[in-house]
Amino acid sequence: MSQSESNGKPKVAFFDFTSCEGCQLNKLNFENELLDILELVDIVEFREAMDDKAEEYDIAFIEGSISTPTCIERIYDIRRRAKVLVALGQCAVSGGINAMKNAMPMEEVQETVYGNDKYLFPSIPAMPVSAVVKVDYEVRGCPMSPPEYLHVLKSLILGRKPEIKDYAVCVECKLKENECVLEKGMFCLGPITRAGCDAICPSNGQYCTGCRGPVSNINKNGAVEMLKRYGFSTEEALKRMKMFNTNELEKEIKWGKE
Amino acid sequence: MNSQYKNLSELKRYFFDQETARRFISFLMKKAEVIAPHSKGEKSFAYQVTTDPDQVVLNYPRTIQPLKKFFLPPRETLLEYDLEKNAIKKPELEPKDRIFLGVHSYDMKSILLLDYSFKKGNPESNYLTRREKSVFIGVSYQSDEYHLAEDLGIDIHDVSGFSLFLDPVEKGFLVFEVDEVGANLLNEFDAGLPIDTPLEQDFSERKPKLKMHHKRLPQIFEHIYHSPVWKKVAERCVGCGTCNLLCATCYCFDVRDEVELNVKEGKRERYWDGCMLNPFAEVAGGENFRPTLDSRTRHRLYRKFKYLTEQTGELHCVGCGRCSKYCPAGISLIEIVNDLIDDYNKQQKQAVTLV
Repeated sequence: MSQSESNGKPKVAFFDFTSCEGCQLNKLNFENELLDILELVDIVEFREAMDDKAEEYDIAFIEGSISTPTCIERIYDIRRRAKVLVALGQCAVSGGINAMKNAMPMEEVQETVYGNDKYLFPSIPAMPVSAVVKVDYEVRGCPMSPPEYLHVLKSLILGRKPEIKDYAVCVECKLKENECVLEKGMFCLGPITRAGCDAICPSNGQYCTGCRGPVSNINKNGAVEMLKRYGFSTEEALKRMKMFNTNELEKEIKWGKE
Repeated sequence: MNSQYKNLSELKRYFFDQETARRFISFLMKKAEVIAPHSKGEKSFAYQVTTDPDQVVLNYPRTIQPLKKFFLPPRETLLEYDLEKNAIKKPELEPKDRIFLGVHSYDMKSILLLDYSFKKGNPESNYLTRREKSVFIGVSYQSDEYHLAEDLGIDIHDVSGFSLFLDPVEKGFLVFEVDEVGANLLNEFDAGLPIDTPLEQDFSERKPKLKMHHKRLPQIFEHIYHSPVWKKVAERCVGCGTCNLLCATCYCFDVRDEVELNVKEGKRERYWDGCMLNPFAEVAGGENFRPTLDSRTRHRLYRKFKYLTEQTGELHCVGCGRCSKYCPAGISLIEIVNDLIDDYNKQQKQAVTLV
């Protein structure tokens, strides 16, 4: 990574779009690592934590989905000024929870949220950042996985390509020798959801909600049949699979991809 | 017929009641680290280091991870490096006395097969160091719907690789002395006098699960590369890789470098990998040599029934049933192999009609 800064440290910026800002907040929770991170990089924009601004960035981390016309203008502007752009968290990577609205009539969605004032708030279907501008790397998850975020950050500083896992959460669960969540009679999307979270939910008595999106070669029918084996109906299986992944599972709204 | 039973009848045997068995485990714990099956979660089992003899479970269908986890750990640091000093450090491994208690014959067999894989070519020093001072005590088991070991020629009472072998009977265990190490253990424990009455043997006929003798399997794999069975399996497979990771003889791994936050020091780590997973056959530039789940399942089975078998003369599936039992999609290895056999037989019939 070339350092454009007088102190030699890469300039890093964080931006939030349509999201709960939980991923940004998650970064402030690295109490043990926070000072080490500041040794490595120069944070030039981070609304959640500071108010300085800069003209250009070595790495721009984008949180949240693109869901208004203003979002599009802003993301174009950021992309122009950023050497590397990383989508941070599931909203930015796939539209995340926000994309649930895409499966409903837009009028109805706007009316529910804004009532009679709906015309004052122009809204478009929730899209991943990659539907609008080129995204160099993705950190998945809701919220994003801290170890994976650190891996991406360290790799970029070293000038290496970060290794983004493209296999199922099952792998991480099996490495830990967890008892299978499905075996226990619970619902689980671990077999089709991307790893990288170290199977944190199944390791702590929860099931995998699929918050990191499906593996790239998802067998959707196979997944539904699998869940049926454990007593979940097709409707329920699809509903739960879509919670975080409407855009990735509904072919008709695969924004900008393919 | 059951040839291994004959084997057992030639061995010296002792009777341990439950209390003696418990004392024996305590005795073993004083000798070395004892690794045995324990309950895990609600209804699963796992090999664990024993701290309390009462927690050991000797009547279990199978553990989640196979025995390989003690010789090829799921995650392992291969070396630590310092980018500034340009230096590396390898963690020191010392051979350690370990007693593996309550091992099923197929899991023992899997270690004997892994021995081949890790000794051949460049010997894998970490595996061999961990393997060096290991003693195994077997136990017989009740075959369930997923076990295929007997059909693959590994008898429940196969004692190869063990030092002692336990067979649960009413109110206790028959303890068979298999080798000298086992004899010494029994001697030191003061096991008493061996039983001198002839061993009562159960010669009841077992219903085979496979439609063909296991010795013929490598041969049918010459003919079923293009079988429609692979596509049929791939329709149900979700590619989670559980079958690879929990396989007793799968040993593929991936190596990753991770730097510390100071971006100066770091670790090189090894993880279990599997040929069912997306990145496995992917190369620089993004090309994937086995992009589809049918080609991956085929590769997985060919590794068990043909490729390695050509080198060793032995099947590299031990029939533990983990791939089938833990497959979330419910894909059964027994079913796949039987479908392949059907397909092969059909091909043969057609060939005859053509003539």
